[in-house]
Amino acid sequence: MSEQIEISPLTRVEGHGKVTVHLDNGQVEKVTLSLFESPRLFEALLVGKSFHEVPEIICRICSLCSTVHRVCSLMAVEKALGIEVSKQTRLYRELILYGGHIQSHALHLFCLALPDYLDAQGFADLAAKAPEELKMGLRIKAAGNLIQERVGGRLIHPVTLIPGGMGKPLDRDGLLELKETLEAVLPDATNTFELFSTLPSAPTSLPTARFMAVMSDEAPMLIGERLETSDGTAFQAEEYRERLREDVCEGNNAKISLLDGEPVTVGALARLNMGTWLSQEASQSFLESKEKIIGADIRANSFSQAIELIHAVERSLQLIDSLLSAGIKKEKPPAIAPRKGKGTASIEAPRGTLIHSYSFDGRGLCTEADIITPTAINQAAMERDLLHYARALEGAGEEIMKLELEKLVRAYDPCISCAVHVISTHSQKRISP
Amino acid sequence: MKKPVIAIAGLTACSGCQLTLLNCEAELPEVAERFEFAWFPMGTTGGDDCAAIDVAIVEGAVSTPDDLETLLRLRSRSRLLVAFGTCALWGGIAAMKNHEPRTALTEAVYGEMAVNIRTFNPAPFHQFIKVDFAIPGCPPEKHELLTTLASLLKGTFPVFPQYPVCTECRNRENRCLLIEDNEICLGPLIQAGCNARCPAVGIKCEGCRGPVTEANVAAETELLLRKGFTREEIESRMRRFCPEWDLSSPLL
Ligand code: SF4
Ligand code: SF4
Repeated sequence: MSEQIEISPLTRVEGHGKVTVHLDNGQVEKVTLSLFESPRLFEALLVGKSFHEVPEIICRICSLCSTVHRVCSLMAVEKALGIEVSKQTRLYRELILYGGHIQSHALHLFCLALPDYLDAQGFADLAAKAPEELKMGLRIKAAGNLIQERVGGRLIHPVTLIPGGMGKPLDRDGLLELKETLEAVLPDATNTFELFSTLPSAPTSLPTARFMAVMSDEAPMLIGERLETSDGTAFQAEEYRERLREDVCEGNNAKISLLDGEPVTVGALARLNMGTWLSQEASQSFLESKEKIIGADIRANSFSQAIELIHAVERSLQLIDSLLSAGIKKEKPPAIAPRKGKGTASIEAPRGTLIHSYSFDGRGLCTEADIITPTAINQAAMERDLLHYARALEGAGEEIMKLELEKLVRAYDPCISCAVHVISTHSQKRISP
Repeated sequence: MKKPVIAIAGLTACSGCQLTLLNCEAELPEVAERFEFAWFPMGTTGGDDCAAIDVAIVEGAVSTPDDLETLLRLRSRSRLLVAFGTCALWGGIAAMKNHEPRTALTEAVYGEMAVNIRTFNPAPFHQFIKVDFAIPGCPPEKHELLTTLASLLKGTFPVFPQYPVCTECRNRENRCLLIEDNEICLGPLIQAGCNARCPAVGIKCEGCRGPVTEANVAAETELLLRKGFTREEIESRMRRFCPEWDLSSPLL
């Protein structure tokens, strides 16, 4: 007798998705993950738009990650047009990226993930059950948001970041305000790490993940040209089309990205496994809890985010100090001459590796746009883990199965709006809603 | 007093309007206390998807049969429905190429799979249902969301500015990007309420809050043409958040 268990809609994740477990006589046959976000058609919307407009439009792909989309897009545009930006601009960009990491990790940890451990339905419930923890999380999140608001001029869809430079840079007083705020939440970040260290870890093990992250030999560490995996593969971001192939999986019309034919996992857990650089206090926390992270499955992702929170706060403070000691200059962004070209950039977004790639014609109008998001990359691993975990949960009853599988999806911290944005790579088929 | 029952949902969108609520860190615990969340998948698990709702606050454009179904369902369950953000109010980013055939756009992206995709030109709510109130912005300003929630507790809606971004910009004594720097700033045409956020940091207004009532489109276009911008450029920018400038807001 065949039956289905449906988790629909997936809650406390960004966007619209569902999981269906297909059972036959109580045995799990398959599990499908469908992302039924409406088609966004961004790559088609961008074609014909000028290079000035591209970053402003594309950040609307997703609100949780608008900052990193904006920066990644700017960097790809600048590469295509051969523009260099000043050191000051680079520092501000790195600072705002960390602001994005702080807000995104804090949102996921406290509003989306924590309720699972405290038998709460969401933040409203948490406000009653664990008010102090929620407030702590919101304080951290507010600090990340303040960085984005002040540096970017707006915290969702930042406005000051433009090709070649930026609008009015945040002044000394503004930087001092950020410094004070960040110093105040550093203990909160450490407490978050403590809090998440005490949460029970999951019993059954999932298949060993293959991790991938953007690696860079110099600061800013989140940005780089080289992608590396935990099993020793390395390639340049520009080669992503040859390496990160898309495949249709049976029973699901979604397209998923596979690296050389295999699923890869990106995000905080992947970064820590790949040994990306950590600030002092964060690396201490990491060393203390290394065995919970190295080679762990995705359920250690939240915990990894907690370690990265400490890093993001500390690194932001360093960046602010560098900016302060150099003195803020009002720089006029260069006049940019359009030219024909193509540029690809990759950045570690809060949820993992993000790639933007654009081509422009001689008038500076976009002829092709392509975006690979962390959630699209993670989707194959997510499906593999869901199947594995569902099998381990056979016989546990529908309620537990639903709860646990949803928690697993949540551990990946998916961003469905981002994933279902789709591209125009020649005749390739893409994720469908 | 009984807590107002609210629903917060999204259609074709980036979730930015919903996130704006979660970004009200200082106020969130109190919001959680004062309202009952009947349906808010982005923020809470569970909830009752058929209970009666006092106010539905919905983001996004309507671009698929599913979107439309969700919207109609929410409308019929709710006493009041708020169009939350520029996509809901004007169509927004998703609608910027509504002047091109939808099938061409879908095919450009999905190739031969495009035939399976059920989608139509993204449109704002008022083309399908009665909308009781709107909060503009891409994303909306936190203070406008919070004012709306506070007013709802008092059984009313707030009054938002009915003048252009330019007015706020002049009040802040910013350097005028349009006149002095010859930039393609849409400030004169756009509904205020953001306190001229972008020009205040030296960036031209991209028009994210949509048209102000009685926007003088002809005068702005003429000015920009005289400054050397092409009609194509001007239209591309104006269509970014609102595909149909001749339509006046149903709510103004
Ligand atoms: S900069 Fe833009 S918004 Fe400000 S006054 Fe000039 S035209 Fe108006
Ligand atoms: S200045 Fe214009 S683009 Fe900027 S927030 Fe205000 S309405 Fe939106």
